[in-house]
Amino acid sequence: MMGQFRHSLLGRLLADPMAVFAMTIIVGLVVVAIFADAISPHDHTLMNLADRFAPPSSTYWLGTDNLGRDTFSRLAQGSRIALYVAIVAVSISGTIGLVLGMIAGFGPRWLDNLLLFIFDTLRAYPTIILALALAALLPRGLSTVIIVVVITSFSEYGRVVRTQTLSLKNAEFILAERAMGASAARIVFHHVLPNVLGPFFILAAMNLPVVITIEAGMSFLGIGVPPGTPSWGATLKDGFDYIRNTPWIIIAGGLPLILVTLGFTFLGEALRDQLDPKLRKSR
Amino acid sequence: MNDPKTTSIFPSLTRRQLFAGTAALSAATMFPIAAWADGSRLNVRAYLEPDDYDPLDASGFLEELLYGCIYRKLIQYVPGEEWDWQLDLAETIEQTSPTTIAFTLKEGQMWSDGFGEITAEDVKFSMDRHMVEENNSRIKPDLGTFTHVEVTGRLSGIIHMERPFAPIWTIALPYLAGTVICKEAVEAAGGKITTAIPPAVSGPYRVVEHRLGERWVLERNPDFSGEAADFERVDLIVVVDDSAAEIAKEAGDVDFTSIGAGSVQRLRDNPPADAQMTLHPALFYHWIGLNVQNPKFEDIRVRQAIMHAIDVPSIMQAAFFDVAEPSTGIIAPGLIGHRPEGLIPPQADFARARELLDEAGIDRLEINIDVLNNVTHTTTAQVMQAMMAQAGIDLNIEVHESGSFWSLGVASDGDRWKDLELTIKRFSMTPDPYYATAWFVSDQIGDWNWEQFSNEEFDRLHDEALSETDPDARDEMYRRMQDLMEESGGYRFLTHGVTANLFADSIAPATRPDGQPLVQFFRRT
Repeated sequence: MMGQFRHSLLGRLLADPMAVFAMTIIVGLVVVAIFADAISPHDHTLMNLADRFAPPSSTYWLGTDNLGRDTFSRLAQGSRIALYVAIVAVSISGTIGLVLGMIAGFGPRWLDNLLLFIFDTLRAYPTIILALALAALLPRGLSTVIIVVVITSFSEYGRVVRTQTLSLKNAEFILAERAMGASAARIVFHHVLPNVLGPFFILAAMNLPVVITIEAGMSFLGIGVPPGTPSWGATLKDGFDYIRNTPWIIIAGGLPLILVTLGFTFLGEALRDQLDPKLRKSR
Repeated sequence: MNDPKTTSIFPSLTRRQLFAGTAALSAATMFPIAAWADGSRLNVRAYLEPDDYDPLDASGFLEELLYGCIYRKLIQYVPGEEWDWQLDLAETIEQTSPTTIAFTLKEGQMWSDGFGEITAEDVKFSMDRHMVEENNSRIKPDLGTFTHVEVTGRLSGIIHMERPFAPIWTIALPYLAGTVICKEAVEAAGGKITTAIPPAVSGPYRVVEHRLGERWVLERNPDFSGEAADFERVDLIVVVDDSAAEIAKEAGDVDFTSIGAGSVQRLRDNPPADAQMTLHPALFYHWIGLNVQNPKFEDIRVRQAIMHAIDVPSIMQAAFFDVAEPSTGIIAPGLIGHRPEGLIPPQADFARARELLDEAGIDRLEINIDVLNNVTHTTTAQVMQAMMAQAGIDLNIEVHESGSFWSLGVASDGDRWKDLELTIKRFSMTPDPYYATAWFVSDQIGDWNWEQFSNEEFDRLHDEALSETDPDARDEMYRRMQDLMEESGGYRFLTHGVTANLFADSIAPATRPDGQPLVQFFRRT
């Protein structure tokens, strides 16, 4: 039993200190997001102008912002926004990329060229410029942030999945399946899909902090969530605006972004180490 | 033929020549450092980039900042605490009838670059061109009922108006529209100043370089006919963000800048070394506007409930750091038409707001506010959001970049203007009430009147006040006009704000009473 666990993916990850560190951060983030209301010492919307710009103390663990709101409580609520945007945006863009990538890899040449053209065009477009353009057209809010992330990132998944599919398409075991009269659907769902999921999940794990950073960046620029929403980017923006009054807001706003980026990046690397057969062999 | 082994692309130098060249180079590079060190260079922050050198394209104070340095007028504002004017190009100037002003220019006032003496023809050319429809002058309204200048001699002329225009002494002549440009130079340039450097200037400085988006480099104008400027070089440096400008001041990159309200208390508590801060009551007016034509606000009780649910003192504390006072209208203290108090007190009355909503049969009201993406107005909106919730009003905040925000209420930019609900705006102002009320007449709906406020009495009073020369009568008219605005339920006046300036001890700045710099009068200490 123990031996089985040790050889499972989770077991191998738990044996890797970097993965354990990453998972600790991620589990912590999830716990904070789920229990944000319970662990917040103050109402994150409550303004107390008499206490604005307060430094960290036993009352305000990470100090207060320009409106006297508790920074820790706002960051705890912000973790929900970060996770929500990351999971929803990565799920949607990943699914679109997965489907289109397999169609491109398995479909006729002209369709592959067309999809490749779309992927490359979208990848070439700078995220922030696209975000600025879309923000001018769409109402401000999380939906717009998610749309921006989906449009800018699904092509990345599509590219990776297409490459994997193309390499599998002419593999001997697929040719054998074909020779035995297997349908295209059977080949895609039983053979191609399971084989592209490894790289797909690594990419998704690596992309989660990117998505969180895009949301924070858009909110920092004032084109993300509406003012008052306790997103991490909005806290950073408040910190930047009042950096000369107090450095605490920007320090507190930056910390969770750094931690989460490290957590997901380390997890992605640990997953790659475990899922990539070449890397595993070289260990 | 030279020996290839000894041929060099460099000229041959003896050791002595090398030392001499190095010494000369060192001296040359030290020259600008010396100029900086003796304070002959002045760096002034501009919070936006002026449009260009042609008054036809001017839109506000940023152009005035530049024009004040390089051009002259018949009269100019006097630096100091009181709004007043002084003679500039004019030797004499007087109102000879309610619709005419006679002037005589000083002898021997010269244009730069060999364009000769400044004459009455230049004054006529400069002012009359704003009235030509094809020129699309953006500051034509500043000239009010002005019709033309009649030249009566080489240095004399008469300014004609269709009917009396009281603001001619406070807006038209000492501000942008009164800027005199060189007829000969501008006609030679095709009738408009579109050149990289203005072809002729008359002010204490001349432009030597314009680095787009960065700075205007000016240097002392050797052809200036007045007292020579104190600084050899003036850089107008574009720094949009207040915090960045403050850091630039601390780093010594700018000598004079305005700063945000959020910095005032901190600088009071910890005065910076070698610098001073001054506060001036500003003329700007910030207000919360409500589109009275929106069906959602058809019932005046709903509009009044919203106004009662806005707590202005809290906004002053949060967004203006308690350095600005609540305003009573759009006309600042000290100007004709200022009201000592508004109809609705600055403090919110949530119970009254709730009562009005109940009377209107509304349990929960959801409304939207559009604001510009600047920290003062987004903070204001957040305070409103928190306060209004107490009266059962849910406020959604929509933030816009400058370009998209300023097109929201403009009919020619789409249909969005019809659906506007609430907005927070700040308009600039000159020292005459005409400039404040002009944007709220019925004709301005779909342009600047985003509240879509339309009132016959207001329109009539605005028109009559323009020609009214009795200050007491004008005062009464403008007070009544602000009452009408407030009674409509479309306006919650916030503040005129303050202008806080931070400057180096080594300079003696000159400002208008509202704190805007008059760089042409800056001196070294």
